[in-house]
Amino acid sequence: MTLQVAPPAVGTRQDVQAGEGQPGWLVVAQQECRDLWTSGRGLILLFLFSVLLSAVTYLTSTNQALNFLEQRESVNLVLQFAVAVGVLATLVVGADGISGERERGTLETLLVTPVARRSIIVGKLIAALTLWFATFGVSIPYLWVLGREVGILGPALVLGFGVGTLLAVGLGSIGLLISAACNSNKTSIAASIFLLLILFAPTQLPSGLPQGWFFEVLLRANPVASGLAYISALLVEGHAWTQDLSYLITPLLTAIIAGSALIFAGPQLVRLTRGVNAG
Amino acid sequence: MANISVEAIHLTKHYGAYNAVDDVSFSGSQGEIIGLLGPNGAGKTTTIRLLTTVLGPTSGEFSIAGHQSTAATEIRRCIGVLPESSGYPSHQTGGEYLRFYARLYGLSRRQARSLSAELLAAVGLEQWGRSRISIYSRGMRQRLGIARALVNDPSVVFLDEPTLGLDPAGQAQVLDIIRTVADARDATVVLSTHLLPEVEQVCSKVVILNQGRVVVSGSVGEVIGRALIEHSAHLRVPLHHVERARQALMHFPGLTINQVEGQPDLLRIAVETPGAASAASPAEAMNAGLTAVTAAGIPVLRFELEGARLSDAFLKMTSEAVA
Repeated sequence: MTLQVAPPAVGTRQDVQAGEGQPGWLVVAQQECRDLWTSGRGLILLFLFSVLLSAVTYLTSTNQALNFLEQRESVNLVLQFAVAVGVLATLVVGADGISGERERGTLETLLVTPVARRSIIVGKLIAALTLWFATFGVSIPYLWVLGREVGILGPALVLGFGVGTLLAVGLGSIGLLISAACNSNKTSIAASIFLLLILFAPTQLPSGLPQGWFFEVLLRANPVASGLAYISALLVEGHAWTQDLSYLITPLLTAIIAGSALIFAGPQLVRLTRGVNAG
Repeated sequence: MANISVEAIHLTKHYGAYNAVDDVSFSGSQGEIIGLLGPNGAGKTTTIRLLTTVLGPTSGEFSIAGHQSTAATEIRRCIGVLPESSGYPSHQTGGEYLRFYARLYGLSRRQARSLSAELLAAVGLEQWGRSRISIYSRGMRQRLGIARALVNDPSVVFLDEPTLGLDPAGQAQVLDIIRTVADARDATVVLSTHLLPEVEQVCSKVVILNQGRVVVSGSVGEVIGRALIEHSAHLRVPLHHVERARQALMHFPGLTINQVEGQPDLLRIAVETPGAASAASPAEAMNAGLTAVTAAGIPVLRFELEGARLSDAFLKMTSEAVA
C-alpha cells in the first residue's frame, strides 16, 4: 500500500494563522472533560460517591429517628461529606494532570502546540472542577430529603456550593502544582492525598477535647477545617451569615494564592524534565 | 536555491557538566529531508526538542521557517512534531484525537472534522477513525502520530524515530509518507532514525551527531565520500563466470583479486599500492577493471566500493569521534 499525503484542502497554513476556532484553554478543558467523563473515571468516582452518600444519609436518618442526631446536624454531616469527597476528587484529578501526561508520554505533543502552557493548566483545572460540581449535584437530592423539613435546604446548598467551590479551586490548584513538580504520577497523587489527610485530620478530632488558642489557630490556618467550621456554625448553631466570616479567610486566601501561583508559576513548571527520553 | 527553513547556529544544551548538545550547527531548505543520525545518547532527541521549543538552549540560536528562536509560539504554529516514544490516549478514537489537535491550532470544529477525515485517509487509517486508539497496532499509532504532526500543514516536520519498532512493511509505509510530505507539501522534514539504508533512500542531507557534536554533515554522497575506502571493492558475478572475471581483472597490474571466503560468487578487488596501477588513481583502476569485466560479456550482479554505504560512513565517523 502506497500512501500519499497531498496538500491539505482544509487546515492550511492560512487557516491556522486565521485561528477561527475557540481559545486554547477552552479546547483543552472540553477535551479533558470528555476524557474524564467518557473514559469512565469520573462516572465511577461519582457512582462510588453516591453509594457512600446513600449509606451516610441512611445512617443519619436512622439516628435521627432515634433522636440521637438532630436533623440540622444530619444535613451538616452530609454536606461536609459531599464537600470532603468533592474536594478530594478534584485534588486527585488535578494531581494526575501534568505528571500523568508525562508518564503517558502525551505531554510533549501538547507542549509543541501553540497553546500557551498557562492555557493548558487552566483547561485542566476547569476539567478537575467539574468533578466537584458533579459531586455537589449528586448530593442535592440527599440534602433535600434531610433538610426540607427544617427549612435549611437553601442555606445548606448556597453554603456548600460556595465553600466547596473555594476549597476545590484552592486544592485543585495545589494538586496541579504538585503534579507539575513531580516526575512520577504515583508521587504526585500520594503527596496530594497525604496533604488532604493532614487538612482533614482536625475535623475528625473528638468534640470533647479542650479547645484553646492553639486549636483555634490550627483550625483557622487550615482551609478545609475552617471552611467546614463555617458551614457548621451557620447550619447547626444557627449563626448569622456575617457572624463567622473570618472562617472564610483561609479558604479564600488558599483559592487566590494557589490559583495565582498556578497561573503565574505553573507555566514554568509544565515542562519535560531532564532525562525524560533524552536523546 | 530554496529558502532555508531550519537553521541551527552553535546550538548548545548543558545539564550541569553534561553536554547533551554541543555547538551544533546545520541548516535545511524547503522540501528537503534531513537525516539526523547518531548512536544512542548522541543528542538527536535533545536537538529536536531544542528546535521544537520544548527545551530552551543554554546558548546558540536557531530559526524555523523564518522565525527566530525567541518567537516560540510562532515556531510552534508552523512545525509538526512526532516525538520519540510518543504516547496516545488509548480511550480516544483516532478521529477524536486528530480533531482535538486540529482545534488546538485554532481550527473550528467543522474544519477540524473535515481535516481529520482527510488526514486519516492520507495515512491509510480511514477505516479506523471511529475505533479507539487502544486497539491500534504500533504501526497504526505511528501513522496516526504523523497525521497529528500534519494537522497544521507545517512548514517543518520533526520526526523522532518514526519507524522504531515497526515491521518492514510498516517502515516502508512511514517512509512513503515522509517522502510525500516533503514533495507534495514542500515541507522540510527533520528525520531522526537508526535506519541508515532508509536514510540513504529518502534524505537529501545527513547530519551525524556523536556525543552532542556534529561529526559530519552534508549530502548523503558527501558524507559517504568522506568515509570511502576507494582502493578496494567487491564484485559479484554469476558463479560460472567467476573464473573468467578473475582472468579479465588479472590483466591489470597492481590489482589483487581474492575470493571472499564462504561466498564463491564474490570477488574482492584491491589496488595493491595506490598509484602503482596503470590508471592514475585507485578509483580509475577499479573502473578500468570493471570495464574489462563487462567487455568480456560477464554480467555484473553487484559492484560496490568498500565503505560506500551510509552505514560504513556512520560507523567510521562515530568510531573516529570516540577515538
